[in-house]
Amino acid sequence: MRKYLTLFIMSWQKQLEVRSDFIFERGRSLAVLFSLYYLWSSLLTNRADVAGYSRAEMLTYVIMMTLLRAWVLSNVTDRIPSEIAQGKLSDLLLRPISHFGYWATQDAASKSLAIGSVFIEMTLFVFFIRPPLLPPPSVAAAGAFVLSTLLAMAMYFQMSYMLGVIGFWTAQSWGPRFCFEVFLEFSAGAYFPVDLLPEAAQKVLAWLPFPYLVFHPLSIYLGKAGPEQWLSILGHQVLWIGILTLASRGLWGAGLRRYAAEGG
Amino acid sequence: MPAIEAQNLAKTYVVSQRGEGFTGSLKGLFSRESRNVEAVKSVSFSVEPGELVAFLGPNGAGKTTTLKMLSGLLYPTGGTLNVLGHVPFEKKPEYLRRFSFVMGQKHQLWWELPALDTFRLNAAIFDLDDKRYRRRLEELNELLQLDPLWNTPVKKLSLGQRMKMELACALLHEPELLLLDEPTIGLDVVMQKTLRDFVTRLNREKKTTILLTSHNMEDIETLCRRVIVVHHGIILFDGDLPDLVARFVPAKQVTAMLKEERPRSELERFGPIQDYNGLRAAWEVPREEISSRVSDILNRLPVADLTVEEMPLEDVIRRIFKEGAV
Repeated sequence: MRKYLTLFIMSWQKQLEVRSDFIFERGRSLAVLFSLYYLWSSLLTNRADVAGYSRAEMLTYVIMMTLLRAWVLSNVTDRIPSEIAQGKLSDLLLRPISHFGYWATQDAASKSLAIGSVFIEMTLFVFFIRPPLLPPPSVAAAGAFVLSTLLAMAMYFQMSYMLGVIGFWTAQSWGPRFCFEVFLEFSAGAYFPVDLLPEAAQKVLAWLPFPYLVFHPLSIYLGKAGPEQWLSILGHQVLWIGILTLASRGLWGAGLRRYAAEGG
Repeated sequence: MPAIEAQNLAKTYVVSQRGEGFTGSLKGLFSRESRNVEAVKSVSFSVEPGELVAFLGPNGAGKTTTLKMLSGLLYPTGGTLNVLGHVPFEKKPEYLRRFSFVMGQKHQLWWELPALDTFRLNAAIFDLDDKRYRRRLEELNELLQLDPLWNTPVKKLSLGQRMKMELACALLHEPELLLLDEPTIGLDVVMQKTLRDFVTRLNREKKTTILLTSHNMEDIETLCRRVIVVHHGIILFDGDLPDLVARFVPAKQVTAMLKEERPRSELERFGPIQDYNGLRAAWEVPREEISSRVSDILNRLPVADLTVEEMPLEDVIRRIFKEGAV
């Protein structure tokens, strides 16, 4: 455990040294928040609701979605393919530390900084803009939302780790990752709730893990998913974590066998 | 029990081929050919605990690939391998704790942070308690004089300073086996010597088993008694360095300093001249003719000084790889 704690602290140190990445990421997050907030705010000015979302619900969705973008949809595993291609992975493989644990710790360190920062941003946003921010309908719903968010974080990490490991096969895996991220943000509900989509699209998405990252946790928060649906949402998240874990472990094992430890 | 035992070790890489230029890249999007490259064909050797062995060979001979298989980084495509009682590729933590692999062109130190931070991380990864960590730090500091620089961010260090830090970081956990790939590459002569002295002490005092590859013949001559010569993925020679020289080069170099200048044509009577500047001449003389030839030179020429030496190692190695077999 001591190794992961030391690694966590060093990752913080490193992020504070490389401030520009962090500042740009926060800037991007604020830009998404402002643009989506004012878009929905103006769309719903003279309408009672859109597909069952009142103005207050939609704006709460946008604000909470910004939080979940920082908590769930942020990751540092996009560095794994270059680590593999340039042979830097060798350093890790030669030490008694799990590669998954190494990146999970770095991810946790990066997220913890982002979470702190996004809280400050949100507080300032709420203080100056005074949006109609709704609380969860009950304490139980708040608890289920927190649990579902934690599972979404685990799910997304497994997913992005798996994509990173594909770097064993394709040296330039930014291409698949870019496509994946655009599709993911859209289908996770990271721009708007996915129940605004046509029914056919929703049926397809129900078979995919993405809506469980943002949309379903926020449905719990807004009370759109009642207590009778919580178990199904949480169960699906656990199931997806299991599937993704098996897939990423399998890919990792196969990838290691073809690893060429290049560049040395 | 040997520290390392390799039997018919082989590694074949699948290398994808791409055409030249933009058209080649475009074609590569749709179809890509690949070919097999046998980096190591069949290599068998064993190393006893406490030995210091050099791997010699030209670029692409299979030295680094062999070292990478020993470390467990690469999965061998053939043969068996046992290192410190383990199968390296399994990467068991108890194996990883017992060896270290330092690659001259790679770094494990965190670039943005001082080296001391990575030392602390490695101490945690290798389960060193605080007392042992402090002791090791003191020992390594005494040998490599690290403390003036260990609080400086790694990116601000020179190559030589960084290499010292890398080596210290890799040895923090007192490995029984040290694999060194081109440890002196790019270093100045002073730093090369520091590093060589350090490796010698490590081998003598701590009985660390060391395997190294180097293109620097001074590294090999100073550090190693035993050499393994690899070429085209097979072992050409495995034995003591003097035996390699004696076996492959059936001649020695006789050098005479003359009291007065003599023309080259006169000196050529004593054998093919390797080096000549009027007052100094060097001949390549077959081993069995050394005594008669030396006495001939001493009798017929105004010799001020005369030495009989093995051929320079660089020449020996060049011959081996040029002629292809030992």
